[in-house]
Amino acid sequence: MTWEFLLDQTAAQLGLWWVIWPAILLGIVIGILPGFSPQNTLIMLLPLTLAVPVEQAFAFMVSLYCANHLSGGIPAILVRIPGSGGAAATTLDGYPMTQKGQAQQALVLSFVASVFGGLITTLATLALLPWLSQIGLYLRSVEMVVVLLFGLTLIAVIAAKDTLKALIAGFFGLLIGVIGTDHIYNAPRATFGFLELYDGVPLVAALIGLFAVSEALVMIEEKMIVSAEGRARAMQTNWADTIDGLRISMRKWWHIVWTSFVGLFIGIVPGAGASIAAFVAYQQSRLWSKHPELYGTGIPEGVIAPEAANNGVTSGTLVPMMALGVPGGTTSAVMMIVLQYHGMVMGPRLFTTNPELAYGVFVAMAVAYVFMIFTILPLARYMARIVLIETTYLAPIIILVTIVAAFSERQYLFDMALALVFGVIGYIAHKTNYHVTAMLIGIILGPLFEQYLVRALRISEGNVAVLFSSTLGNVLWGLLVLSLVLPPWRSYLQRRRTT
Amino acid sequence: MKTKAPLGADLVIPALALGFALYFFISIADLAWEAKANGVLIGALLVFLIAVQLARMARQLARGEGDLRADSLWQPADVTGKRLGMIAVTMAFIAALPWLGLTLALLIAMFAALRIMGVRKRSTLVWLPLAIATAAYAMFIVALDADFPRGPVEQLLGPLFATRT
Repeated sequence: MTWEFLLDQTAAQLGLWWVIWPAILLGIVIGILPGFSPQNTLIMLLPLTLAVPVEQAFAFMVSLYCANHLSGGIPAILVRIPGSGGAAATTLDGYPMTQKGQAQQALVLSFVASVFGGLITTLATLALLPWLSQIGLYLRSVEMVVVLLFGLTLIAVIAAKDTLKALIAGFFGLLIGVIGTDHIYNAPRATFGFLELYDGVPLVAALIGLFAVSEALVMIEEKMIVSAEGRARAMQTNWADTIDGLRISMRKWWHIVWTSFVGLFIGIVPGAGASIAAFVAYQQSRLWSKHPELYGTGIPEGVIAPEAANNGVTSGTLVPMMALGVPGGTTSAVMMIVLQYHGMVMGPRLFTTNPELAYGVFVAMAVAYVFMIFTILPLARYMARIVLIETTYLAPIIILVTIVAAFSERQYLFDMALALVFGVIGYIAHKTNYHVTAMLIGIILGPLFEQYLVRALRISEGNVAVLFSSTLGNVLWGLLVLSLVLPPWRSYLQRRRTT
Repeated sequence: MKTKAPLGADLVIPALALGFALYFFISIADLAWEAKANGVLIGALLVFLIAVQLARMARQLARGEGDLRADSLWQPADVTGKRLGMIAVTMAFIAALPWLGLTLALLIAMFAALRIMGVRKRSTLVWLPLAIATAAYAMFIVALDADFPRGPVEQLLGPLFATRT
């Protein structure tokens, strides 16, 4: 790969602006709506992507995919409703920023972190593709058990006010995540007799219920979702707030870089996804912060970390597909179908037989990110004004529209009812300070944790020692122990210093 | 005077979790170890955590720091009607969806929800449900051809937009 080749590819992708731009706009819209995943949209649009030349199809698909990852954070910040599981961690600090009247800054932070996180990792992927493709081979079940434990430890630290309640909520979520058939024998577990639960609890219904419905039921207690002071600030928003958001983002550039790489590495592992990456990045960001106690109160780092990681995943997911012929997730599986329909054979040979396409995918992604920042950044000012809508109108719209969206993932009416049930559970959890995010972490990561754990134990014929059998795994175990011990040790030192 | 913690409300989530954990244990009793290892581990830890929480609450009760009130769940009382109304409208919406179809069911549910929330301005009660239902029809039925139940509106407009009826 030469510079000349890269420049040619960039010029070719820029020429596809008429494909990239509509895809970005569509990706932003479906990303804002909870329940609309890029894979569902791409499946629905298969007749279109199969009909056009493969370069255009791929530019369309990756642009839609990246824009979708970016915009999931918008409702997470504005109304505490993540557009996807990958944006769930963004609610932790994004929404408190909105309540303080800093919605515009939070949106800008989210956009900049998403775009630059995505862009940096895409460029890194382009440069290091042969080496990065090997990571997926090293991170096996044993190592993934530890990576998932990194995400799960967030449950314990998420609610500094009441750790016991957070743990109960988290473990309740983990047990809910085990509902469905097991991975070995397909035996149903705790399905209440519903066939619809054999595949497990649908994530979208849980997400919509725990966040959207419950939040709407709580928000009707107030006239507005922001405080009086926050409303006054929101009414006076201007371009200076966008610039302020940009300034904060620039000051935190290193935070964007390293958290986006967390996303890239996790994204490379087939089956792992944006949700794990965002939670792990948030947990690590809090761990290494000089002021961990401020996380959850509305600080820029709490928005940057999950958003940068969420978009770092986008290029990572494509690495195993392009380099090994193994799709890293459902969206890349749909993309692979399109490529195979066009006669492309995925795997190492693609880089020699069709380098324009193999590298062009990542160039298209980089170009899409550049287009995205210019498209979305000016909109932050206007999006932030959503918080000025009275809850009298906002609550019915949120409840009914998101309940409709709950249908979209699997097209079952059952999922709509399930979202309402989760809404009531989430409402009770809200009112009694059992953290709904901890519950959602459990529901998201629980099934993955079981999958990797059972696989590792199965390979070793039930020998638990397998979890400590690899060098990389043991290094990760060490880091995990360090991440658990370090915060209390630091607060102990701080207490000693003050006394 | 220091207000007592409403521990009755705090009991709801542990009670739900405990009930679910017990049901889970019963449902997996006959399965192979691979199918239940993870669930047993998580369930056992959950039961342990609930026991700690119950012990903590019992201590609070014994010290007079809390009582078994649960009224914090429905406070402030003046919005309880709205809240229950919203849940009822959503349940009715899901139940009516197979007969009325997405567009009409959403239109009626949106109108009812706005009324429950206290909106009385006629123009708002007309244009907002109409806008939401139209947007849903355009997006889910016309553009995405999703598998939502079709009702009279979808059947009426089907030939016009060449959509499934």
